[in-house]
Formats: sequence, structure tokens, C-alpha cells
Amino acid sequence: MIDEATLAQMNGEYLMPPDAGPAWRAAFAAGIDMSLLEENLRRTPWERLLANDRALALVRAVQRAKPVDDGIAH
Amino acid sequence: MMESLTEILRRLHDAKVEFTLIGGLAARHYGVTLVTEDVDICARFTPENLRRIENAFKDFHPRHRLTAHKMPFELTDELCGRLKNIYLTTDLGILDCLSEVAGVGDFEAVLRQSEAREFPFGCCYIIKMDALIQAKQAAGRPHDLMAVAQLQAIKGKDEQQKNSL
Repeated sequence: MIDEATLAQMNGEYLMPPDAGPAWRAAFAAGIDMSLLEENLRRTPWERLLANDRALALVRAVQRAKPVDDGIAH
Repeated sequence: MMESLTEILRRLHDAKVEFTLIGGLAARHYGVTLVTEDVDICARFTPENLRRIENAFKDFHPRHRLTAHKMPFELTDELCGRLKNIYLTTDLGILDCLSEVAGVGDFEAVLRQSEAREFPFGCCYIIKMDALIQAKQAAGRPHDLMAVAQLQAIKGKDEQQKNSL
């Protein structure tokens, strides 16, 4: 049986670290996805820059994507 | 050709350009999650250093991206003395070179607020987190303020970790 707190996290609720400081809490309150920030901080600084290159390549691919007009709903 | 901001950084380093990394890529370096589409640097605007920038990107079709017809980036002695900023588009991506940073100061002031960091290709200066926060606050656009909130959260976490040692 999954408890309510775990279920809430499965559904996207962020589990605030118990030692989170005021700036961390303020960033969360401002709507920043702190779980993404935590993931990014696990990378080395160079890995973060390479991840930006990959993200930018994805952005460009999406920008270049043309609408499919073959009459079939995808 | 594949856009690569890390390759722009490497080329600046290899060409011995005097610069410090600022802006969104510096924020990424510290852990901010926002994706940035350009490399922002603060550079020494001497003719010698501007020529290094020119040489670094001469094979990548550099153009002044804000001019009406995207004029080719071709320096003259006269232009070297008059440029305060250079906004380039290249085959590797966008590179913005500033001679000063709002909220921090001119190149010397920014350099004093920078530290050398090791990258796979060598050392580069990068603006310190506190100065980056000042610059982003001075810029004040919504995405800058979003970066400020993240930088302050990261700074708070770093300080907590230092204090717990």
C-alpha cells in the first residue's frame, strides 16, 4: 500500500529537503522546478555546459520541425 | 555545421583571447537549469584582443548579427577604436562580446570579480557567482531574474555545505 505522501511525490509534488535554506524555499515558491536544479547540481560544471549544447540542439530541431500534412491525425 | 557553445569557448581559449565568461553560460556552469542560446563574454577591447576574436572565428562566417544586412565581421584599425560591443552570429552559434557589464563595471572590474576555472581544453576566467547575480539583477529581464533566484538557491546550498564541514 502506497502512502499518501509517496503518492503525492509520484504525482509531481516536490519533497523539500529538510535542510533547505530560505533562498532554496524562495526559488521553489517562485515556481522553479527544484528537482531539475538538484539533478543539474549533480553534474560537473563541464557536464552542465555540454548538456546546454544538447538542449540547444534539441531546441533547434524542434524549431526546424515542419507540420506533417498527410491527412492523418498523429 | 553543428551549433556548439562549448566549441566557441574552446576557440576563444585557443586564440588566447583575454575574456571572462559571463551571462547564461556562466549561470549554466554554476548549475542554473535555463538553456542559453549564446555565449556572452566580457573582453578587453584593445585592437590586439579584438584581432584575436576575429582570428578565432574567421573560418566560421562571423557577422554582426544586429546590423541590417548582417555585415561580415571584418575589423579595421578605425573600427577597432570605435567598437564598444560586438554581437556576432557564427556557424558555431552566437557570441556577444561586451567591453563592460552593467552592475559590475568595465573589463578590469569584471576580471577582478572573476576566477580561473579548469575546462577540458584549459583554463578560462568566469565571473564569480556574486558578480553574476549583480549583473543579472541589473539586467532585470524576466529570465535574468529567474536565473537570479536559482543562483541564490545554489549559493545558499553551497554556504550550508561549507558551514557543515
